[in-house]
Amino acid sequence: MTGSPAAQHQLDLVPDALLAGRAADGDTAAFEALARRHGPLMRATARRLTGSLADADDVVQETLVQAWKQLESLRDPAAVKGWLLRIVGSRSIDHLRKRRNHMGLDEVEQQAESHVEDHAKPQIRDPEHSAVNNSRVEALKEALAKLPEEQRRCWVLKEFNDQSYEEIALTLNISPASVRGRLARARITLARTMEEWR
Amino acid sequence: MNTPDDALECGHSLADLSTYLDTGEIADPDHLKWCPECQAGLASLRRLSDLGSELLNSDVADAGSGSDDWMQSILDNLRLELRPGRNIPLRSGHPNDSLFETEGAITALIRSVADSLPGTAAGKCRLHGNITGGTDDAGTGSTGVSTGTEVEAAAGAEAETDAAAPGTGITVELEIAVVYGHPMAQRAAELRRELAKTLAFQTELNVEAIHITVTDVLAPSAPSTPETAAPETAAAGPEPTEIAAAGSGAPGPEAPAPSTREAPEPADTEPTSREDQP
Repeated sequence: MTGSPAAQHQLDLVPDALLAGRAADGDTAAFEALARRHGPLMRATARRLTGSLADADDVVQETLVQAWKQLESLRDPAAVKGWLLRIVGSRSIDHLRKRRNHMGLDEVEQQAESHVEDHAKPQIRDPEHSAVNNSRVEALKEALAKLPEEQRRCWVLKEFNDQSYEEIALTLNISPASVRGRLARARITLARTMEEWR
Repeated sequence: MNTPDDALECGHSLADLSTYLDTGEIADPDHLKWCPECQAGLASLRRLSDLGSELLNSDVADAGSGSDDWMQSILDNLRLELRPGRNIPLRSGHPNDSLFETEGAITALIRSVADSLPGTAAGKCRLHGNITGGTDDAGTGSTGVSTGTEVEAAAGAEAETDAAAPGTGITVELEIAVVYGHPMAQRAAELRRELAKTLAFQTELNVEAIHITVTDVLAPSAPSTPETAAPETAAAGPEPTEIAAAGSGAPGPEAPAPSTREAPEPADTEPTSREDQP
């Protein structure tokens, strides 16, 4: 049903718009090729938004389920990547909201932070990653984890997914003016931390 | 919205500069050219943005490749529901039988034909016209029929359905991509001919026109594709042995000499091994 490996390989060379058109027609192999192509960015985004790799995989899966159902409504097939990422954004927010119903907010924040630190340590110990730029990236991860959650979301949606203020506003259900303000505050805090670090 | 230490002495704020970076909008753009404070602020925000890109690259690298196990297990969990589309009635030998083929099976067949020819890949595909045999959707495919005369002749000869039968007056709309270096018009014409033949052989649709739109040009593929592996068998001509090779994904005779395309009957059976694709 998903086609031979050769056909799969061929689909990997085909542009997004064509794959999205085929997937909307019900071609599962084309849909899977899209998922594989954009999966790493979707997973990376969901992980920064939810703070956990396990949650990120849940989000990617939910995103793909929703995308398959709604593909026919996608007007511009060439814009499928941004469309997938917007779904990742809202599913990640939903995910956090759902989890918050099961535990207190502090716990969630703590969990997110401890996860980031857990991840940061082995990389710092790894001699391969001892270059200055890599440790600056690690410092940014830590600074990011300390931001208020709403600011972090705005920053990730902007810097990772290049969403407009209006798109971020829709995802987070706040006004574009709030997005502008939170993004600015996130950047100011991060920039200041990184300047000190320099 | 400003934090206390956000304002610069020149009167601007880092928040203004942050918005300027995203939108290019600021009250007095000329000010930025000479104000050292604003320039320092912008430089700092730009360094952060660059570092953000590095973090993104590092996170994407950490996420692993889309062909890794994590993605495979997500895909395995999806169990995508099929989209069969409309039911297309087939003639049956007995009045009490009712046979159907799905629209999804037809579009999958059409895609497999386009994918199997060298230099083309299928995109979106639409069937217009009275494909369900009812009267409700009759006439939707009547636009632009005149452009498909070549196909009309080819398809009309094989499909002996009378005007009232289901599947009359069908128009196929297909978007394709053509690999760089292949002549578009020629590839489209060949594809149209193949589609007319295949649809006449494998379906009861009375195809009036096949409209092909080239929407993309693809970069030439890696040398390991079936396309370049095919010519050896292709030179043997349309012998029955070649059908097996064609069914396994290698296209028929094509790459060196387009004149060999006038393949007789055996080529018609080529896609049968794929008709069960969804």
